[in-house]
Amino acid sequence: MRRLGLEAAVFARSTFLQYVALFQWATVNGYIAYKVLLPVTQILFFVELGVYATGRQNALYFALGNALQLTANAGIFGVIATVANERQYGTLPILLASPANRLVTFLSRAFVNVIDGIATVVIGLVITVVLFGLDLHHANLALLGLCVVVISITTAGLGLMFGSIGLVMRDAIIIANVVYYLLLIVCGINFPVSRLPGVLQLVAYSLPLTRGVQAARDAAAGASLANVSGLLAGELAIGVLWALGGYVLFRALESWARRGGLQEAY
Amino acid sequence: MSLARAAWRAFVITIRMRVISQWSYLTWLVFPLLFAAVGLYVLNSGGASSSHLVYGVLGGGLIGYWSVAYIDAGNGIQDERWNGTLEQIFATPTPLWVILLGKVCAGLFFGVLSFLPTAAFAYFGFHAVLPALDPWKFVISLGVLTLTFFCIALTLAPLFALWRWAFNMINGFELGVYILCGFMFPVAVLAPWAQGVAAVLAPTWAVRALYASTVAEGPHDFTMWWLVAAALSVAYLVGAYFLYGLVEREARVSGELALA
Amino acid sequence: MAAIEARQLRKTYRTTRGVFRREKVEQLALRGVDLAIEPGELFGLLGPNGAGKTTMTKIFTTLLLPTSGTAMVLGLDVVRDQWRLRRRIGFVFGGERGLYWRLSGLDNLRYFADLYRIPPEVTRKRIPELLGRLGLAGRERDRVELYSRGMKQRLHLARGLLNDPEVLFLDEPTIGLDPVGARELRVIVRELADAGKTIFLTTHYMFEADAICDRIAVIKGGEIVAEGTPNSIKKVVRDQGVVEFEVVGLPAEKLAGLRALTGVKSVAVADHELAQVVTIHCSRPADVMTQLGVVLDGMSLEKVSSREPTLEDAYVQLIGESS
Repeated sequence: MRRLGLEAAVFARSTFLQYVALFQWATVNGYIAYKVLLPVTQILFFVELGVYATGRQNALYFALGNALQLTANAGIFGVIATVANERQYGTLPILLASPANRLVTFLSRAFVNVIDGIATVVIGLVITVVLFGLDLHHANLALLGLCVVVISITTAGLGLMFGSIGLVMRDAIIIANVVYYLLLIVCGINFPVSRLPGVLQLVAYSLPLTRGVQAARDAAAGASLANVSGLLAGELAIGVLWALGGYVLFRALESWARRGGLQEAY
Repeated sequence: MSLARAAWRAFVITIRMRVISQWSYLTWLVFPLLFAAVGLYVLNSGGASSSHLVYGVLGGGLIGYWSVAYIDAGNGIQDERWNGTLEQIFATPTPLWVILLGKVCAGLFFGVLSFLPTAAFAYFGFHAVLPALDPWKFVISLGVLTLTFFCIALTLAPLFALWRWAFNMINGFELGVYILCGFMFPVAVLAPWAQGVAAVLAPTWAVRALYASTVAEGPHDFTMWWLVAAALSVAYLVGAYFLYGLVEREARVSGELALA
Repeated sequence: MAAIEARQLRKTYRTTRGVFRREKVEQLALRGVDLAIEPGELFGLLGPNGAGKTTMTKIFTTLLLPTSGTAMVLGLDVVRDQWRLRRRIGFVFGGERGLYWRLSGLDNLRYFADLYRIPPEVTRKRIPELLGRLGLAGRERDRVELYSRGMKQRLHLARGLLNDPEVLFLDEPTIGLDPVGARELRVIVRELADAGKTIFLTTHYMFEADAICDRIAVIKGGEIVAEGTPNSIKKVVRDQGVVEFEVVGLPAEKLAGLRALTGVKSVAVADHELAQVVTIHCSRPADVMTQLGVVLDGMSLEKVSSREPTLEDAYVQLIGESS
């Protein structure tokens, strides 16, 4: 019971820090700039580009793909901001010296960002419906919703890896920026993965989003769970693997730090 | 003469600091390449024409150039504030705008470099070329585009220093600028009201001239486009003049120059 | 003509507080300061944090506009004549910030030399001279981020001296320095004053002001509460002295007994390892010492001593009196 309480406390504190991280820009203009303008203009840009290149009939392909990719904004940057806050608030050394369950601590960082990711995608989908007439009458809405939840979880898994890197590299955010935009190229957001060279296709399928976006496109076209279960299972597995990699790195760094390797990192 | 020397020194120092900064490579090299890649894949979908592909050749470079102009050059004053040197340079006998002149020029120097890797990527990756390049018109158009970015960056620097929300808004609207200025597809495909908004942005006209200098299809009116771009740029500078006065005054009243 | 002059100088900061219901708050940093510093003086401004020292320095160095009153440096108005004035003054703010840490010391100096519009032929001679004088020769090509704290401070001072200013403003220049580094800096500052420069120094190290300043002013809450030479200020505590001793565990009633002794102004108790150090500011310290045994009967006292009041004692009394 006591152990459960302790872990709940760790989870709660970590969630609070994520909340603070999430809303550290929380002025009205910050919200409008990064949670409204940025998603809207990203969708508009790629739709107009896609329409110019391939015709108006493909507008929805680009709109849906980019709306789904928006979850990576929360999944990657949100987690890094959380770690940065742990550093700034000085809670990291305290955390490491505590008997709290490491796995709970680690995973709790992603919690709020998953919720935020889902919310961002929903905003993107609403824009897509309003501006480009995404027709959801034939869509399997529940399945689409499930796909959105899954990709939010898996991109947060990727984010957790960057969070661990961010413990020792102050400039992990630079890598995160690059990866965020790399997702636009390799994950089938703006063109099919099959058009990429073989090596990049391998990269595509080892990243989150690729399978999940495909599943979501199928769901929007009316597919059933049975049709996309393989894709969703694969997507979840990839997300878990990234999160696991991040966790292993986290524990390794903790052990290294304890031996005096990286005191200044904290 | 001493003012020119101060501006030159600011230029040299900024170049040096950009060369050793990891972030600067992100803005002028990595992001442009990433966007060039997406752009080329999309533009090359299903048998694109060569006039489509020119947007892939130059689009990445334009994106990199703009990013540098508003992020690096536009944050010229904020940069000093974050570094803790704003008070020191503010209290020298050299006016802030002279120092900014040097810093903005240095920033734009890196921005122009964006065209090289992105054009090389377009050529080697997609065999995309500029089909009917008119070198003189291209160079003049690039010069006019540089003038527009220069004037915008000089105007943004005091704006960002006075009101942080302005940076957030322009940062959030970054892809909106790509749309309205026609970086990766022509402004003509936009709705009429959007074309009207695009028309008051100086880079829109310079970008139009830049692309027109690479294709044979007309109609072209380079002189008009260059003049409109230049006139709008000068209009921004008039605004900048008042903003610098405001920064000076505001800084000396509030005493917040040292606050990051 | 005074080198630095302030008449009824006032500065009010106006800020807002709160997120949703913004409340306008006014903070009076300077409340009508009058000051005159002669050419060639090394003038010290002492005061606690928030007293107005930095505000006054920033007004004199043209970084800040006063709300009312006048401030003149070298006969030039800091509000209207800032461009002419900036060529003739220098300033050094203490602390880690204010340098381009990714560049070398030499690059920093060359940059500021150009910003101060110093002719290149002058810069070429002056920079090596300053580097030599301030003990940075041989390290000028290293990046500033590799400098020690003391070296950074000396580089700050080199930057402040690039234009060979007639007036130099130093805002807490020795803060954060180790004792050796601080002493070296004080020696340099005194030499600059002896060479004819007017120096305006702010500090909260009393011994520093006592050691090097020609004249001092004490500021509290935006007002000057005392002004004069270090000796004249110490006269505030002229007939007073300080009695100090160590004791283990001082009960409250005995502390009250000490405070009640005739001539005692204040009693301060500080923890020092396992014991407590008691400092009594009083007139007639000899009388107080003879009474100690009576008041503290049964207690063992160590290191009992009495001494002359220092500038710090005077400062403490002045700051305490004016609240």
